[in-house]
Amino acid sequence: MEQQEHSWDAIRAQFPILQQTVHGKPLVYLDSAATAQKPQCVIDAESQFYSTINAGVHRGAHELAARSTVAFEQARERIAKFIGASWQEGEEEVVVTAGATAGLNLLATAFGYASLGRGGSAATRFALHEGDEIVVSEAEHHSVLLPMQELAARTGATLRWIPVTQDGRIDVTRAHEVITARTRIVAVTYVTNVTGSITDVAPIVQAAHQVGAVVILDACQAAPHLALDMHALDVDFAAFSAHKMYGPTGVGFLYGKRELLEALPAATFGGSMVELAWLDKPAQYMAPPARFEAGTQPIAQVVASGVAAEFLDHIGFAAIEQHEHALTERLLQLDSIPGVRILGPTENTQRIGTVAFEVEGVHPHDVGQFVDAQGVAIRVGHHCAQPIHRHFGVFASNRASVGVYNTLSDIDALVDAVSGVRAFFKA
Amino acid sequence: MASFGFATGNELEQMYQEVILEASKQAHGKQSFLSQSDAGAAPSENGTQSASQDGNTANTIGALASGLSQVHAQHEGCEIGQSHQFNPTCGDEVTVRVELREMHDGSSPVIEQVVWDGQGCSISQASLSIMVDLIVGKSVDEAMALFRDFHALMNSRGAGIDDAAAERLDDAIVFQGVSKYPMRIKCALLGWEGFKDSAAQAMTRL
Repeated sequence: MEQQEHSWDAIRAQFPILQQTVHGKPLVYLDSAATAQKPQCVIDAESQFYSTINAGVHRGAHELAARSTVAFEQARERIAKFIGASWQEGEEEVVVTAGATAGLNLLATAFGYASLGRGGSAATRFALHEGDEIVVSEAEHHSVLLPMQELAARTGATLRWIPVTQDGRIDVTRAHEVITARTRIVAVTYVTNVTGSITDVAPIVQAAHQVGAVVILDACQAAPHLALDMHALDVDFAAFSAHKMYGPTGVGFLYGKRELLEALPAATFGGSMVELAWLDKPAQYMAPPARFEAGTQPIAQVVASGVAAEFLDHIGFAAIEQHEHALTERLLQLDSIPGVRILGPTENTQRIGTVAFEVEGVHPHDVGQFVDAQGVAIRVGHHCAQPIHRHFGVFASNRASVGVYNTLSDIDALVDAVSGVRAFFKA
Repeated sequence: MASFGFATGNELEQMYQEVILEASKQAHGKQSFLSQSDAGAAPSENGTQSASQDGNTANTIGALASGLSQVHAQHEGCEIGQSHQFNPTCGDEVTVRVELREMHDGSSPVIEQVVWDGQGCSISQASLSIMVDLIVGKSVDEAMALFRDFHALMNSRGAGIDDAAAERLDDAIVFQGVSKYPMRIKCALLGWEGFKDSAAQAMTRL
């Protein structure tokens, strides 16, 4: 990774969408936690793939099919290296999915099939029964909570959760109370999408592994902001989406420890995942990752995701963390605006530049509309995480989140806009 | 096109007309009639959730006509209806309670009273307040005609509706600016949907 002084202006200039005005004001994009904007190299990668390479992968004998397969597998390798996973042929630990939600649902579905006895004796380690417990946290995105809740309902297992601290961090000191001998799965987020807090994953992984439970990590909000090393984190599975890390929409990746992927039963069925198919006897499925990639994959988007990972590695996470730390410092000034309360940690440690806040007496929808009129894009609503909003005693909130392209003056524009909200709405 | 000009002023002021900001503060018809336990799931401690729970439990947010059987019309010769409306994207939530008076000459029942309990953005709150001013004392038939006028306004993408309809809508015409914003149309319609549903329920009791 490069450690040189970066020209953040030059990085910002690579994002064509940011060179526009909205409502007559320069666009200030502070909604990267929802989806990040795309640099020219990612946009070009998708376009070039369609202009020069497009063909199905792992089939056909023609030149384009070969090029396409190489580009697809190189992207998988690129992503694997990006997250500290194995990539060598036969050792692959990265599965292409339609996004983090699809990856988490893949796991819930596969665990459900294992509970029905599919996948043979190797898969019994994933089987759930009445009396077993699945542990999530109070801070989870619905894409973690709901697949696990459904899995519990299907298998008779019980869903439990690790509470959050008053300021909305997953309370790892309580993990030992919730993770017990009955726990089979622990699914938690690395970085919460509402408060921006970074979870201290190690003690959770340790507690889970001590009782033989599988750890699933939601790495969505971590992937664009922190250097990831799955082997060092020692989680068993992890899911993330390309579009939050400056890549295309419609694609994501599921990490799984190789031995676990090999034991996991298939979750979707069709072309490209089967070795032998018969009318009169059961099919023989392929080894991972192909076993989990039924049907034609979003090939161009996978290739462009590899370019997005390269883009991030080229800047380097040390530089990104430093840059975003400074933006976060400025963002936390929101707390000093009269009537504004930050939901989440107000200290700039163990957190990223995603800050949720409420404006006293003004509904988030109105706040979002007001700042949008100043050209500032933030997210309003519950951000697909209703339980943690209940913890804060609100249904919805406002959320500003930074990316590599943001500047201190972007944050100043937000702070200025938010400062005018209560007067406008006579709150 | 109505003569309510939206040509001047910036977009924000077109949307948040003074009438809207005022009405959202006055909130005519707003009453606290739902108990705290009805008005949303209480924050939970860490604990367990039974696996047998069906997937629709989240719908207990708000009092889905809960306890209506114990609620009686406050006015003699009237029947009530109640409807809970919820916008899951932003959490705007309202329970509208309507009291209808039966007309013994066979004409459309008259709206004796409309009260509502809930919370939401200024658009939804103002729309409810203005709706109450507009429909109380009118017949259900007249109010349903206004409901259709208001729907037409909100589906006009900022263009407005004909002068006669605009006149009928009175203050509610100020939501013309909101109709340009697809994300906010539901906010303005929330209370009206609650009225329609609760009036239909009350009608079945008359």
